[in-house]
Amino acid sequence: MGYWKDIVVGGWSLVEGMKVTGRALFKPVVTVQYPRQRLELSPAYRGHIELKVFPETGTHGCIACGTCQRVCPSGVIKVQGVKQHARGGKVATHYVIDFTRCSLCGLCVESCPTQTLQFSTEYEMEGPSRWDGVVDLVTRMEESRS
Amino acid sequence: MAEHFAEPVRQHLYSLNLGPQHPSTHGVLRILLTLDGEYIVEADPVIGYGHRGHEKMGENRTYLQFMPNTSRIDYLSGLLFNHGFCLAVEKLAGIEPPERARYIRVICAELNRISSHLLWFGTYLMDLGAFTPFLYCFDDRENILDILDRVSGSRLTYSYCRFGGVTRDIDDVFIEQTRAFVKRLRSRWKDYHNLVTKNVIFIHRTRDVGVIDKDLARRFGVTGPNLRAAGVPFDMRKVEPYEVYDRFDFQIPVGEKGDALDRYRVRLEEMEQSCRIIEQALDQLPDGPYRQERVRLKVKPPRGEVYFAFESARGLTAYYLVSDGSPYPYRCHVRVPSFGNLHCLTEVFRETLVADAISILGSIDIVVPEIDR
Ligand code: SF4
Ligand code: SF4
Repeated sequence: MGYWKDIVVGGWSLVEGMKVTGRALFKPVVTVQYPRQRLELSPAYRGHIELKVFPETGTHGCIACGTCQRVCPSGVIKVQGVKQHARGGKVATHYVIDFTRCSLCGLCVESCPTQTLQFSTEYEMEGPSRWDGVVDLVTRMEESRS
Repeated sequence: MAEHFAEPVRQHLYSLNLGPQHPSTHGVLRILLTLDGEYIVEADPVIGYGHRGHEKMGENRTYLQFMPNTSRIDYLSGLLFNHGFCLAVEKLAGIEPPERARYIRVICAELNRISSHLLWFGTYLMDLGAFTPFLYCFDDRENILDILDRVSGSRLTYSYCRFGGVTRDIDDVFIEQTRAFVKRLRSRWKDYHNLVTKNVIFIHRTRDVGVIDKDLARRFGVTGPNLRAAGVPFDMRKVEPYEVYDRFDFQIPVGEKGDALDRYRVRLEEMEQSCRIIEQALDQLPDGPYRQERVRLKVKPPRGEVYFAFESARGLTAYYLVSDGSPYPYRCHVRVPSFGNLHCLTEVFRETLVADAISILGSIDIVVPEIDR
């Protein structure tokens, strides 16, 4: 008896399973056809870092203090600056990041005293060479402004 | 079969490498099997392919700089590992996060636990040869990733917790999405049970397969759902409630025999319990700041040591930190559950079929990078 019962119950379980798959046929498609369709990015999205442009000054606010360089766990950031006036503070002239090593933790953004860093919303950053990940953010900012 | 194994001279033994690139080893794990026909005589897991030196890295960087590492130790429950590390350092340095932050962390951690279990559900059934459930549970899991992505900015390696809070506050949309997700997941149980739990092929491949009983579990330090499937209600969230877990009403699901089917049942039930925790936490969610006023970028804990154990998706996980008063930990050790879970296989695999070995390996839910770390 147990033998036949097994066959009937087992067979029926397969039919039940097929019913679930069958119903799924008539449900709306959940996948998004990237790159023809795109999703909205999350407001917290973390791309690589970039320098914010403040409208009051028309430029970034980086004072080349090096806090972000020190706090970065992966050694992504190299920042250099010069004093523009004898008594003024420093201003960054070079801000080089190696995005291939970035762990996207956000510590640099949180630690910046002038809050001049933010995450960019770029996400298609593939390239054939590892040097494609090395970007000078100051140059990048100037290019984007012109 | 017993007399078959008792043969004094085994002439027909041969070795087989399971892995390191086998699809069901979930990472880079190699198991050296000694076979007698289709039966396994001896199994010898070889680990260490994915060693990245996380513990050493932890000693060479400040406490906060180690935070992104923690979610890479176990990439499937990254937020749980973040959370645990955060709690360990907070205990060591005496930092008190605000109430709201505690609730946010618990909600996100439980979401992460569900996502980890859902992924296990999919991949385990894929190991057993069923492809469809994988697509269904990834559909559900995608919802969690979207929800967590909205608040933390990442989908897998979150780095969401900070000492004394979290990086971003949650908003009404988050709460709404989370409630909708819990409702959706509950409505899916029926489909899951019809599709998998009642399926005759699934039952035959898991019932009485790979029994890890209480005694074996104790000897090898097996924890998590694998231990609970053996009937031991051991869960750090109940045994030593941390964060705000003592304020929620939830059960610890246990199995009876400790076979693969019990492990499956325990995990499914755990997802339901996580849903209950999330709902209660959302109901009780207090207003207030989501992190401390002053952001702690450099913590300098006093001299001393801390051992902090918490429940990750795979079992008892712990951080052991020794501080010498500097901003760098003197020693940073991570206790991972998968190590014990994997090594009991040397006993469990004995005298089973190779086909069952795949089922057992999948059912204990190992994450190999966590073992290698
Ligand atoms: S996000 Fe983290 S890893 Fe990336 S540059 Fe900033 S601090 Fe470094
Ligand atoms: S922390 Fe801010 S101000 Fe200082 S170097 Fe980095 S970007 Fe510039």
